Amino acid sequence: MKDLALPTATAHWGWDDHRYFGQRVFEELAGRESLTSLTVLSVLGRRLSAEQCALLDDLAVCLTLADPRIWPLKLTRVIAAHGGMTAAAAAGLLIEQDARIGPWCAAKAAEVLVELHLKLVGTGFDAEAVGAVVREYLDEHAFVWGFGTPFRKRDERLVAFRSCLERRGRRRLPFMRTFDAIASVVTRERHAEPNIAMAMAATFLDLGLHVHEVGPLSTVLTQHMFFAHAIEGARQAPEVLQRLPDRCIEYSGRDARETPRARQVGAENTSGRAAE
Amino acid sequence: MSATELSGPLEVEKFPEKLAARVVTPGPAPRVHGYDVESDLAQHYGVGDSVLLSLTGELPAAPARAAFEVAWLFLGAVSVAHAGAHASVLARLCGATVSATVGVAAIGLAEEARALLVEHEELLHSLRASAPLPERYQSFAPEEREAVARLRLALQRTGLSVPTLQQSPTRDAALLSVLFECGLRRTRQLEAVVTLARLPCALAEGFAERPTNFGNYPINLPPFVYEESP
Repeated sequence: MKDLALPTATAHWGWDDHRYFGQRVFEELAGRESLTSLTVLSVLGRRLSAEQCALLDDLAVCLTLADPRIWPLKLTRVIAAHGGMTAAAAAGLLIEQDARIGPWCAAKAAEVLVELHLKLVGTGFDAEAVGAVVREYLDEHAFVWGFGTPFRKRDERLVAFRSCLERRGRRRLPFMRTFDAIASVVTRERHAEPNIAMAMAATFLDLGLHVHEVGPLSTVLTQHMFFAHAIEGARQAPEVLQRLPDRCIEYSGRDARETPRARQVGAENTSGRAAE
Repeated sequence: MSATELSGPLEVEKFPEKLAARVVTPGPAPRVHGYDVESDLAQHYGVGDSVLLSLTGELPAAPARAAFEVAWLFLGAVSVAHAGAHASVLARLCGATVSATVGVAAIGLAEEARALLVEHEELLHSLRASAPLPERYQSFAPEEREAVARLRLALQRTGLSVPTLQQSPTRDAALLSVLFECGLRRTRQLEAVVTLARLPCALAEGFAERPTNFGNYPINLPPFVYEESP
């Protein structure tokens, strides 16, 4: 079976202590790690400083737009309707990877940001250079991840998180600077304001994350909302979500019709009666 | 603060009041894509017809329905070696509920189907363009050729023409080509059918396991080797 072996950097079950990403769980992690730092270790396989983890705490709080009417959370409530909490939480999380809304937008925004950042490094970020680089990008892309604020003029989560970044002295870091530089051009050209996904992307990249790490970390920072709805939804197990009343459904599919076989049987019956 | 005092974008924006149904009519006498289920479809048609009708919007012609059922049988027999069935066994072993076991198996199989369709993107392009089978989907390995020969034999009585089968396809490419000729032309339709066809066997493997039978599960298959980063 040695040829089938799979490497894992995650964990090993020992006798008196266990390993987790190179750390002894009881000896080195217990009593020292917060939930956030343990989560960071789990997602990245490495630690961030306490100050950096505190920034992630700020972000998780600022991301908390958890109205049950918002589609992924509504889905969680719908699945929870029969009382299954973990099924509901799992279903909510299941749709996140590569979805058009939700935390994975930060992963897509990170790709955009890195692409533009690499083009802008060395230009001095003067307005002309930024404008040329961004316009070239816009010419090739109808949609820009990290921009767009549906149903309102600006993303209030971004406003709140920017204040947190300011307080922690993280507004002038390289990717945040790129974000600020491109935002004004995209907004002017596309009439689309930046949203929290782009700020997440810039923050994570400034923390030293690779692009492929942005989606997973974004997802875990939003999971509290799925659990909140899974728990409340399962506790309520409301009949109305188990099955909406028929009067709430509007059918817009094919008109009533008869199958070819039913028509054939009908025709045979008719001709049989006529023969009699 | 009570809800009536709160306001936000969703209080201001206008949305429809009803949920749109596009396939099945709500109410006590359901129709699927217009056909009455209880007094028409159930009297004159079978499960294969029903799956194809649901996914394509139209009832299949007899050759397509018969060929679909052959492909369904070929696709459905996934052993416990496959991730979906293996996960189903693990769920049962852990004492998961039936609903959780079904959910786990469905997710595992859907992931496998997604990967299969990604791998066969070029095949679908060639089928849509009626182009020759790309070389990467051809196989001359005896096992594959024999499986495709058995598929051709099983399809003989259906009368459905599947040109790809004459071009030495792999087993997977052959089965996807049959489904394509049955009217399942879109990736999402094919992913759904591959997943659905495999669900019964994957679940049965799970249900055959005994909850908490941990001692009889090969925990080191495959072996994980813990390596600390430098």
